[in-house]
Formats: sequence, C-alpha cells, structure tokens
Amino acid sequence: MTVTALPTSPTAPPLGRRVWNAVRLHAANPWPTLITPWLIFAAIFGLNLAIWYLVTVAAGGVQNLDADAFAYNGGVTWVLFFLMAMAVQAMSLTFRFALGVGMTRRDYYLGTVAYLAILAATYAAGIAVMARVEELTDGWGMGGQFFAPWFLADLPAWQLWYLNVVAGLLLAMLGVTLGAVWVRWKATGLYLAIGALAVLVVAGLWAMTTTASWGALGEYLGTHSPVLSATWTLPVTALGAAAGYLVLRRATPRA
Amino acid sequence: MTTVVEVQDLTKSFGSLAAVDEVSFHVREHAITGLLGRNGAGKTTLMQLITGQEFATTGRIRLFGAPPMENAAALSRTCFIKESQTYPDGFKGSHVLRVASWVFPHWDEALARDLVAEFRVPLDRKMKKLSRGQASAIGVVVGLASRAELTIFDEPYAGLDAVARQAFYDRLLADYAEHPRTVIMSTHLIDEVADLLEHVLVIDEGRLIIDASAEDLRGSATTVSGRRAEVAAFARGREVLDTGSLGGFASVTVAGLSAAEKAAAAQAGLDVGPVSLQQLVIGRTRGTARQEVAS
Repeated sequence: MTVTALPTSPTAPPLGRRVWNAVRLHAANPWPTLITPWLIFAAIFGLNLAIWYLVTVAAGGVQNLDADAFAYNGGVTWVLFFLMAMAVQAMSLTFRFALGVGMTRRDYYLGTVAYLAILAATYAAGIAVMARVEELTDGWGMGGQFFAPWFLADLPAWQLWYLNVVAGLLLAMLGVTLGAVWVRWKATGLYLAIGALAVLVVAGLWAMTTTASWGALGEYLGTHSPVLSATWTLPVTALGAAAGYLVLRRATPRA
Repeated sequence: MTTVVEVQDLTKSFGSLAAVDEVSFHVREHAITGLLGRNGAGKTTLMQLITGQEFATTGRIRLFGAPPMENAAALSRTCFIKESQTYPDGFKGSHVLRVASWVFPHWDEALARDLVAEFRVPLDRKMKKLSRGQASAIGVVVGLASRAELTIFDEPYAGLDAVARQAFYDRLLADYAEHPRTVIMSTHLIDEVADLLEHVLVIDEGRLIIDASAEDLRGSATTVSGRRAEVAAFARGREVLDTGSLGGFASVTVAGLSAAEKAAAAQAGLDVGPVSLQQLVIGRTRGTARQEVAS
C-alpha cells in the first residue's frame, strides 16, 4: 500500500474562482431559476393571449376594439418580483449550505449578487426579444402588448432591456437585504425592517407633498428619457447591495 | 508536531448560557481526534466556531495557523460535515456532489462514485425527501471524497444502520491510511469509534473535561468487579468514576491504578479489566467525577 500525503494548499483558490463557485452554486440545480420562470412566463402569456382572443371574438373582430384595448398589461412585472423572491431564498436557504461547504460570507455574497445580476440581464433580454416579436406580429395579430405594455412599446429594444434590468436589480437588492435581515435577526428583524421601509416610503411621499414637488417630478419624468429616470434608482440599488452585505457579514447559519 | 487547530480560552455565550466555556486545546495534524460529549454539551457550537460559522464571544481560534473567520485559504482546506446541514430548495444528491466537486480542491470523483454505490445513495431524489440515513450518507460521501486536509464530521451517522456505520468507519480508516489527513469526529456512539481515535476530547456543559491520547485514557482507569463487599473494600478511598451492581456483584471504575495495585486486586479475587472509553466518558460526564466513596 502506498501512503500518499495529501497535497497541501496553503493559499486560497483565486478570488475569481471562489466567486464563480458561488455563482454556479445557484445554477447547480437549474430548474428554479433558469427553467421554471420561463415556463411560468409562458403560462401567464398563454392565458393573456386566450383572454385577448376571447375579447376580440366577443367584440366581433379586431376592428371593433379601441386601439389601446390591450396596451396595458402587468404580466411581465411578475418576473421582477420573482427575482426578489429568488434573492430572499438565496439568503435564507442557500447561504447555510454555502457556509456548510466552506465558502466565506464575502465570496458567497459577491457570487449571489453577480448571479442575480446575470438573471436580471437574461430575463430582460428574453423580454426584449419577445417584445420585438410582439411588434413584428402587430401584437400577436390583436394589438396586444404583453412584453412591452404602455409607452414601453415605443422604446428601442436596448432601452426596454435596460429598464427591466434596472428594475429587476432594484427589487433583487431589496430582496437580498430583507433576506439577510431574516437570516441574522429572524422574524422580529424582518418585521422591523419592513416597518422601517414603510416609514421611509411614507416619509418620502410626505416630503414630496408638503414641498409640492409632485409637479416637478412629473415634469422631470415628462421631459427626460425613461433611461435617465431609471438610472436614478441605481444608487438606491447599490445602497441595498451594501446594506445586505453589512447585515450578512455577521450572520450565522443557525437553524 | 504540526497543529491544525489551536483553540485558546474560547468562550461562546448565548445570552447567559455559555455553550462553550473557556476551552483550550490543539488538534494535531494527521490524526483522528474524537470530540465526545452528551447532546447539548457544546460539540456542534465548538465545531462551528472552528470553521468560522459562529462568532466567538471571547478567546482565540487558529485554523491552519490563522483566524478562520472569512478566511478563504483556511476554509478551502477544511470540510465540515454536520448532521443538521440544510440544502437549497429542490437540491438533489447529485447537485450536492456537483457543488462539492467545485469547492473542494482535492475532490476525488472516482472515490465519490464508489462510495455512492457502496452506501446506496439515491442521487436523483430531492434532499428533503430523503430519509435521515440517506441524507447522512450523502454527507459521509462528501466528507470522505473531499479529501480535505481537515475533515470534521459532526454526528455523521445519524439514521445510518449498523452496516452503513461500519462501512463508514472502514472506508474512513482505509482512506486515512492511504492519504493521511486530519479528522475530527464528533459522536456519542463512543464504543463504535473508540478504536479509530488517536486522541480524545470530551466536552461537558461547554467545558473541556478530558484532553488526552486514547491510549493514555484507556490506561487511566480500571474496572474492578467481584463480590459487592470486596469491591466496596477495594474502592474505599480511591477515585471512583463509575459504579454498577447486579445482585451480590458489583463493579467500580477507578482512576489511576498502578500495576501493583492491579495485581493486589487480582490477588483478592477481583476481576481487573481495562475500562472502555464509553464507560470512562459516562463516568466523567454524569457528575460522579472526583467523588470519593465515603462508606
């Protein structure tokens, strides 16, 4: 029998490898993030198509419908809230497993945020492609706007993509922060955090109203491109990402 | 002697409870160390502290010579298998092994496949649907195939049947003989692992009460049995770790008998035998330690 001492590796694998391990940890089981969302998406879209068709038939044809009859639809926002749920679950379930296989909190967090960003970019790309198909088929032959409802249909594809990415990132980082709060302080912490968030939102609305700034906001949104307006959420997103890390940095994988 | 884990005056408090209380010890490289103690003694907390999962209240921990907290270099050389491990939603055994193959630099895929077959681990079923024994078996496969320089098993056999447990001990020893590595095994099935252990740490109510080589420990106490009156006479004035009686017969486990004393006991018609590790730990952890027999 040969006795072979195990090779020793006093240095850590490079940072890139460690973060990549955290990224692919989330994709090790591709179903919940890479397959199921598209299936649900297809189901929601299919139902919308069916309802539009029903309405069209009842109205006696497309020519009898208002031009914007099917222009408002929130089905696509589902994927954004799904990203948020993913983020919460990443913190509550995957974190414990990641620490269990010897990942550091920092590497895990970086990989998780990167994975959520990749997901947001992928979903947004899918939506942009489908929106183009929607445009080319005249709204699936019925003037329907599922992937690019409302004014979004008038935007170039890259702007539609950008808006969905930015919105997805904002919700994902909110989810990451709330998930990290849950891991560290459990239900009590989560209630307090959501309460604090609600107070912040109401305070913001209050400030807008007392300073009579709604008009100014409306004017800003009306005169600036949606891309520029959406970009203003990025600092909030970055703040959320930083807050999530600060909370998770001292969290333990206790059951 | 190279030290893999070094713990000094380590305390971890949860509120007023000290789960780990002023503990100091070393874990030597290339040895199998047993971390023994009752449920709730603080074993899991101690191992979570060593692997940077829990934050120490006070004290010092060195894992491969450095603080373990957020230390990718030290943690990537360590594999910690715990019974209470939870898995991401929808994870199957195959996903667990895939992730393990990414994160453990010395992962041996052939060994993993071999072990999966031996332990009959279902890889295509969700972890949540597995029985306790099947989930434990996955942990055992990961721990062995990781070939991590330091492998820590925390109650790795929960739910495993006797055959699978024996297979685990055999595979661990065989692999350890070919590829010496450092192993810490926490367990309360002490008799089963007694022969594997080279060093023994016993923790009770958060305190480290035994830190000795397995050999010294076995020699540190002797079980003397015979007729009740004669046993009582022999035990008088000695440090009794454990007593038992059945009808007119009794046995005592006494600490620190010299060869001459053992011979004297045998002369007096008493049976003199080595103590089992389990008896020793039971004696030391149920509050009878250092209790003199008064009558």
